[in-house]
Amino acid sequence: MGRFVKIIIPAAILVILGVVIHKPYHRWAREHVNNLTATTDHPLKCASCHLYIQKSGIISKIVNAKYYSPFNLAVSPDGNYLYVIAEEGNALLVVNTERNRVIKEIEVGVHPHSVVLSRDGKTAYVSNQWSDNVSVIDLEKYVVTDTFGTGGGPAGLALGADGNSLYSANSFSSDLSIIDLTSGAERKRLFTGNNPTGVEISPEGNTVMVTSRRTLGLPYGDSLKCELTVVNDKRQRIAERMDIKQAYMMENIAFTPSGDLAIIPLIRPKNNVPTIQIERGWMMTNGIAIVEQKPGGRTIQLLLDEPNAYYADPFDIAITPDGKKAFVSHAGVDLISVIDLDALRKLISESDERMLAAYSNYLGTSSKIVLKRISTGANPKGMALSPDGKKLYVAEHLDDRIAIISTESLETIGKIPLGGPARITVARQGRRLLNNAGHTFQSQYSCYTCHPDTHEDGLVYNMASKDMGRNMTNTQSLRNIGDTPPYKWNGKNQSIYKQDGMRFSTVLTRNEAFSYKELDAISAYIMSGVPNPPNLLYNPKGELTEAQKRGKEIFERTHDNKGFEIPVINRCVTCHPAPYFTNKKMADVGTLAASDDSILFDTPHLNNIIFSPPYLHDGRAATLEEIWTIYGKTEQHGALNDLNKIELNELVEYLKSLRDEKYEPKVSKTLSASFRHKQ
Amino acid sequence: MKKNSLKFVFITSVALVIIFAAILFLRKPAKAEKSERKENLNEIVLYHQDKFDPGPGSSSSVIKEAKAMPVYGHWQNFTTKDGLPSDKAYAVKIDDDRVWAGTHDGLALYENGKWRTYTSEDGLAHNGVVSIDVSETTGDVWVGTLGGLSRFSEGKFETFNQFNSGLPNDLVYNVCCYGKDVWVATGGGAGRYNTETKQWEIFTELNAPMHEPWTYALSGGEGKVWIAAWGGGVIEYNNQTKKFRDYTDPDGFMEIDLMPDDGPVHDITTATYYANGIIWVSSYFGLSRYDGKNWNGYFDHDSGLASNFINNLKAKGPIVYVCSDKGFSTFNGETWVTYKKNENDENGKAIITNGKEVKEVAQTPSISHNFIIGADADDDVVWVATSKGVSRGEVLR
Repeated sequence: MGRFVKIIIPAAILVILGVVIHKPYHRWAREHVNNLTATTDHPLKCASCHLYIQKSGIISKIVNAKYYSPFNLAVSPDGNYLYVIAEEGNALLVVNTERNRVIKEIEVGVHPHSVVLSRDGKTAYVSNQWSDNVSVIDLEKYVVTDTFGTGGGPAGLALGADGNSLYSANSFSSDLSIIDLTSGAERKRLFTGNNPTGVEISPEGNTVMVTSRRTLGLPYGDSLKCELTVVNDKRQRIAERMDIKQAYMMENIAFTPSGDLAIIPLIRPKNNVPTIQIERGWMMTNGIAIVEQKPGGRTIQLLLDEPNAYYADPFDIAITPDGKKAFVSHAGVDLISVIDLDALRKLISESDERMLAAYSNYLGTSSKIVLKRISTGANPKGMALSPDGKKLYVAEHLDDRIAIISTESLETIGKIPLGGPARITVARQGRRLLNNAGHTFQSQYSCYTCHPDTHEDGLVYNMASKDMGRNMTNTQSLRNIGDTPPYKWNGKNQSIYKQDGMRFSTVLTRNEAFSYKELDAISAYIMSGVPNPPNLLYNPKGELTEAQKRGKEIFERTHDNKGFEIPVINRCVTCHPAPYFTNKKMADVGTLAASDDSILFDTPHLNNIIFSPPYLHDGRAATLEEIWTIYGKTEQHGALNDLNKIELNELVEYLKSLRDEKYEPKVSKTLSASFRHKQ
Repeated sequence: MKKNSLKFVFITSVALVIIFAAILFLRKPAKAEKSERKENLNEIVLYHQDKFDPGPGSSSSVIKEAKAMPVYGHWQNFTTKDGLPSDKAYAVKIDDDRVWAGTHDGLALYENGKWRTYTSEDGLAHNGVVSIDVSETTGDVWVGTLGGLSRFSEGKFETFNQFNSGLPNDLVYNVCCYGKDVWVATGGGAGRYNTETKQWEIFTELNAPMHEPWTYALSGGEGKVWIAAWGGGVIEYNNQTKKFRDYTDPDGFMEIDLMPDDGPVHDITTATYYANGIIWVSSYFGLSRYDGKNWNGYFDHDSGLASNFINNLKAKGPIVYVCSDKGFSTFNGETWVTYKKNENDENGKAIITNGKEVKEVAQTPSISHNFIIGADADDDVVWVATSKGVSRGEVLR
């Protein structure tokens, strides 16, 4: 009886307590979820938020997983091996193509991007985008034998015609390193277009072409243009700077084997058209640029889209050795377009300038040149052909697999699993959604399109609100924003749930909204932490330069140069405190435009801010300097008008150095702590 | 009579031999004159007896020394009639087989015998182009203008100004590519732009031993950069130690160089250039040369320098090219060759000076104007920017 009482009574108390608090707790939980999601019917699942958004700790390790994320690849000269860049695995995977399995994993630098092989196939060069170097790998011993320094964010690689030069397109510093492969020294660095990634040498070896992803700096409001940089391989000097107009995200490039054409996948955004117009189609189109290599050759743009089906985020291109077919991977729709190059040549040879100009916006061209669309796994990125041209290998980026496609039957004939986790985590599912255009009207664009690499695309969009044609909006990075609500420049969205919820589909995608499960997944991906690159360009070692230190003092100062106290609201550090350099509050910095709704602006975070031009809510400031030299005439955006040019430069140098807290050396913190202890 | 006749014949014969010998003797220079006419020299030799030094500097030594110095001729002058955007030329730069000229109305490119103009409509920072340099490694052309700095590369301009970048000031008097750095001398101090790290550094009177923020020219070599600073003489910056050293005139701002060869002739410097281990410094009061140990001053009254009012200079190997308001001088430490245009016609002269001995060589045509602001030289060619277009001269062999 006594034991019974001991069990029953506490249980009864708990039940009564549960009954008593259930209703108020449920009501509180409902309000809490309603508040965060801006809906009234989001399922009350605590785990969907509190479990999957963890950035670190045991729970994070349990619910998340480490994937390889194959990004680019190369095939050995004999076709027996594939060398696959594992972007998240920080490795080069060696795949035996007879057994279709990974036989070796070679650790390389951080966030590798591309791989290129020496002519004899005995050496691989891997660009490590987040380490600012290239790993040299002995493919007989499977060891890294050397590391060559490059510019910031090495991406695409190509060997020079002499076999002794390596070109590295540096995506962060927007230049091209030319490395002497004998000494490993960088011979020179040529500046390129903005955010270059693709680099390829022509078959005859005269010309190296470098593609870029972001638009060149233009007067505010101008339509965009991206640079295709042409380098003379022999002189290793710039030969030409070609503007590819009204296009961007030129990720890669390939030459036809005869060298008559260079073909570049690209996107043509209509960013000055109100985004709400997407339902009329044709807002974000996807296609290719064709650069004729003959003297006086034309540059032509053709769309790969169809009137009611768009093929978002074209990434890579591979051309068969016979020059008959080109394959373009569309990362946003999980498809490969197969282009009939003879039909393409016929089309452009029979078209005059006027017709070709019209084709660049014409959705009917693709039916004349596209042979087939081939389905792939999630997010197809880099591709490579076998030496005989019969097999196309496709990196299924978010599936941890390589697809094998027959270039004759145009069917998928196999898959090579790379050995990543079999389970798909919630955050991984969110990443797939973010990279997929399936939720946008006609699949015109994915989140990735405007937020490549979960960053931003450097464009200003007309985010039409209820009043059409208002609110020009500078795209913001999605990296590390989980802890910095509210969202949007007007700060109207207090959570990712609201940001990507129903309003998102109303204003942006004009299609069915994400389901709550999908919304949970996207939120989990973004909130569990998408890191910034380490900002090695401006803060390589975590030690500020002397100029940056002086800039930091200005950033944190409380008194101006004349000794007067600066009002708290006008101090930089008030609104931009570490670690994200935002106080997450709204402010008026004196930049409201006549076409803007009357609002305050959300204080943006500043880590890696140097990689997010243009600046201010509508992108009117092309550089950090312009925020104060041109658009800071009052002191609403910081009391800085007493600075001389040297001091302003130092402040800018400090801003350039800002980076995620995770990269700050822990050693220095320990030393600092022990130093204080001794005191 | 016979005696007289014999005497007459003898004297006449001797006289004829002497005359014949004299004719033969005098015909040699005539041949030389004819052959040099082929070179378009029109040589008129006028020995200035009042300056004649009977010692080592005999006439033969003048010619001997002059052989070590290139003498330019065959002047070809370009003005707006030839396609130059403006006759007021401020800068000139040889870039392999093409030539850049900075003018009051734009940047001009001379290539394949034709001039092409770039202006602010093409993206140039400002039409007043006052300095040009070309990066030896990348081939990029850096253009200093009265409204900012432009980088030109294969048809495209990128502009840096005081509002959109760390450029000290929009008045870019001089630009100099040195390794990965591009240095600028501006109205707001000297600036250094690292083309790889994209970082700007500014040097003014606030952080360098300058008297004023104005800087007019700079030159790099052996890990150092020399800055011609208004009122501050020459500032030497060591890239490795990041330390400054200044060279100033002990006489300060006195227009007369009280103590000769004690330093730069004046603290108000207009240009400086380093070549062959020598620092050359120009001012409005004369020219200075520093070999690492000793300073030497040169003035128009005691050397072959065209004028003390020197706008600019450039050095190549042992030779300095001096741009003044009264002509164009070249000097290798021993011999001067100064080019001047006649006031009333298109002709002029090259004045070769060695010590106190002076030789003038007539030139048809001459340089296009005596007010010179910029110059550049290659192996056999010199280009000069003047107030009446640009002139191109070839070494006379």
